[in-house]
Amino acid sequence: MSEPRDQNRPETGSDAHRATSDLEARIARARGQRAAEAATEQTRQGDMSGMSRGLRLGSEFVAAIFVGAGLGYIIDMFLPTRPWGLVVLLLLGFAAGVLNVVRATAQMNAETAVPKDTPALRDEDE
Amino acid sequence: MAEQPIEPIHQFRINNLFDIGTFGGNGTPGSGTHLAFTNSALFMVLTVGLIMAFLILGSSRRAIVPTRMQLMTEMSYEFIANMVRNTAGTEGMKFFPMVFSLFMFILVANLFGMFPYFFTVTSHIIVTAMMALLVFFTVIIYGVYKNGLRFLKLFVPSGIPWPVLIAVVPIEIISFLSRPLSHSLRLFGNILAGHIVLKVFGGMVVALLGAGAWGIIAIAPFGMAVALTGLEFLVAALQAFVFAVLTCVYLHDAIHPGH
Repeated sequence: MSEPRDQNRPETGSDAHRATSDLEARIARARGQRAAEAATEQTRQGDMSGMSRGLRLGSEFVAAIFVGAGLGYIIDMFLPTRPWGLVVLLLLGFAAGVLNVVRATAQMNAETAVPKDTPALRDEDE
Repeated sequence: MAEQPIEPIHQFRINNLFDIGTFGGNGTPGSGTHLAFTNSALFMVLTVGLIMAFLILGSSRRAIVPTRMQLMTEMSYEFIANMVRNTAGTEGMKFFPMVFSLFMFILVANLFGMFPYFFTVTSHIIVTAMMALLVFFTVIIYGVYKNGLRFLKLFVPSGIPWPVLIAVVPIEIISFLSRPLSHSLRLFGNILAGHIVLKVFGGMVVALLGAGAWGIIAIAPFGMAVALTGLEFLVAALQAFVFAVLTCVYLHDAIHPGH
């Protein structure tokens, strides 16, 4: 007994058959591509707009200088070291600000780097 | 024109809605602590109320096939839970309630601020500074409680010869102390600057429209104001996220010092 034949099935070799014969493979490919897109989306989530990036780095830098200068000023108020506490701690605050910026940049780079195993995205027609 | 001059910082003014009373002091005017329910407090209450309504409504049904409300609630939970696990590690989930509360509060307060005539709670540094100090002291107290004196390894990077340490340790300490300042300044600065810029461009539209035939160029600042409104929505969500991420980064230091 031959298997029940689907009346609507296109004839083998017809244009309609060719259009649908590789449908499964195309769906599988599209699914793979969506997974790849989702993966890159995930890495992109840590990305920020340029302005907030700049404000982040700026506030990291300025905050350390303020804290250094403030600490130096307080030390000079209580110890007879004026003005050296302010001078030295302002400079240390500057160094700490640079350190903060370097760390924040390293963290941003680690967040946005494209992983090596991300499959390249390309159009199907290519 | 007899209108009041356009003042970009008028929107940040705090008004007393009703007085609670004066505590302490000797009875002379200006002494003691005067407490009042301000417009800032009103919007904090509204923010917390909206978050609670959102979470309670979303989690009341607990269906296996979630409704839209439940889905949104679960997404907000999973978003923050994943972030805490990725940034602070699985141990950091202890602090999930704090991170989630901070994130939701900042996000909703920022978004409330995008309504015209609404007050933006996060545009005052006292609010953001208190949240940053909460995180700062949580890190110190939990770090010392968990690791004891090993918490101080945070200030002593490993593998550095001791003469260099004399310079590095004070730098590390200043860098650590600068965290609450930069943490609070960033949120405050972003929100404040964004709202002032929006108001300035809005004011330019009004001023140019009063300039007769030249009013046609008012379309340029109007376009800017529209574009900036979109940007401000992005900033509102992004800054809440950045605040939460940095909280997790700092908590990671409390859990694993010396990394």
